[in-house]
Amino acid sequence: MIPRLLLLLCATSLPALHAASDTAKARLETAVNEVLDVANRATSTSALAKDLRPVLLKSISFEAMTRRAVGPGWRQFSDAQRKKATELFTTLIIRTYSAKFTPGERPRIEYKSAATPAPGRVEVPTTLLYQGSRYEVVYRMEQSENWRITDIVIEGVSLIANYRTQFDAQFKKGGAGAVLASLTQTLDTSR
Amino acid sequence: MNPRLLYRLALLGLTASLFTSCTTAASRKPATAASVAGLTRNDGKSAAPAKGDDLDEYAAESIADPLEPVNRVTFWVNHQLYTFLLRPVSKGYEKVLPKPVRSGVFNVFDNVRFPVRFVNDALQARFPRAGQEAGRFLVNTTLGVGGIFRVSDKFPALADVPAADTAQTFAKWGIGPGCYLVLPVIGPTSVRDGVGLAGDYALNPVTWVGFFYGSWAWTIPVSVSDTVRLMPDNFSAYDAATGNALDRYLALREAYVQYRRMAVSK
Repeated sequence: MIPRLLLLLCATSLPALHAASDTAKARLETAVNEVLDVANRATSTSALAKDLRPVLLKSISFEAMTRRAVGPGWRQFSDAQRKKATELFTTLIIRTYSAKFTPGERPRIEYKSAATPAPGRVEVPTTLLYQGSRYEVVYRMEQSENWRITDIVIEGVSLIANYRTQFDAQFKKGGAGAVLASLTQTLDTSR
Repeated sequence: MNPRLLYRLALLGLTASLFTSCTTAASRKPATAASVAGLTRNDGKSAAPAKGDDLDEYAAESIADPLEPVNRVTFWVNHQLYTFLLRPVSKGYEKVLPKPVRSGVFNVFDNVRFPVRFVNDALQARFPRAGQEAGRFLVNTTLGVGGIFRVSDKFPALADVPAADTAQTFAKWGIGPGCYLVLPVIGPTSVRDGVGLAGDYALNPVTWVGFFYGSWAWTIPVSVSDTVRLMPDNFSAYDAATGNALDRYLALREAYVQYRRMAVSK
């Protein structure tokens, strides 16, 4: 009886999950196309970062990214520190992301079927063909008001996990202040 | 005994002793099957949300690094070596040889590396994949003129075969990565992957050139070419991992660990 009930429950929730992953996937495709259009028009990497900013702010949840990259230490950040950290990390991510494009060269992207690891979450695996190489890129998305990207995993390397280790080390050294200082310093030196 | 061989044996002995000392510490977070698609979190656990508090989604430590102080020094030396010597070599290589030639060189060495992939697929009992590798080698060597052109990509059954290596075989046999190591020149690796590199080295026909011609004088230029052809890609991966990092050492370590976790699970 119980397995049958479970099956029924799963069957009824499946269409909903399907619809969610379809919406998220459509949202991602729109966002990626928008990014590629901007990248295609850009004349330099620094101009690209500036042009991409409004597009990325729409489709990426930078607040969730910053919070998770910092980890449990986030609880000890004051509101002002959280705001500052999100601001700095946003700029850093946009800069890192923009640097991956060579202006004018458009990658080809194949979207595969999305996974739904949990309600309100979707992971869209894609293959990116760029300059003769193939890259496996997974977009993790979450629903708040609309679907937004919360992590980009390139060839198994998660953007957020990578910064998490670095933020952790800074936080252990000197708390929120050290995290903010190292973010500021990185932004200044990588300009 | 040949001093190069002695050096290699010493290195192997060192890595083997390190291996036993830190496998337990680092193998506590094994990759799950879901990480095949890169869908797992940093710590390899399932990506279910922690309602209300998602702060610990990305658990931090991913590999034991008891040698961090030494590794950091090696990393720094490597970084200088890359910046002042190897990067200019790589740039020069890209400047001197046009892209089609470079891609031909790349493909030839990649094709020659066939035994590394074939033997490891067989050791992992992945016989269909070993068959695909054999098919690729045959097609590329004949139709692809000695491997210059990767004709196999045109055959759907032969395209996109994940490349097997010795460290991957060790992982399939259940051996954990051991602790993190930064090798001189080569850079980031783990104890398991370092030993794996030695296995790949032995299985790579590029290494055998010296035996065929009875002189190491042949091995050096061939090995150097094999190394240089990989440099542009390696530097681009290095830059992608360390660019805009708060701490380059940690950024490269984490990128390496995550990348290898995916490669090993394929």
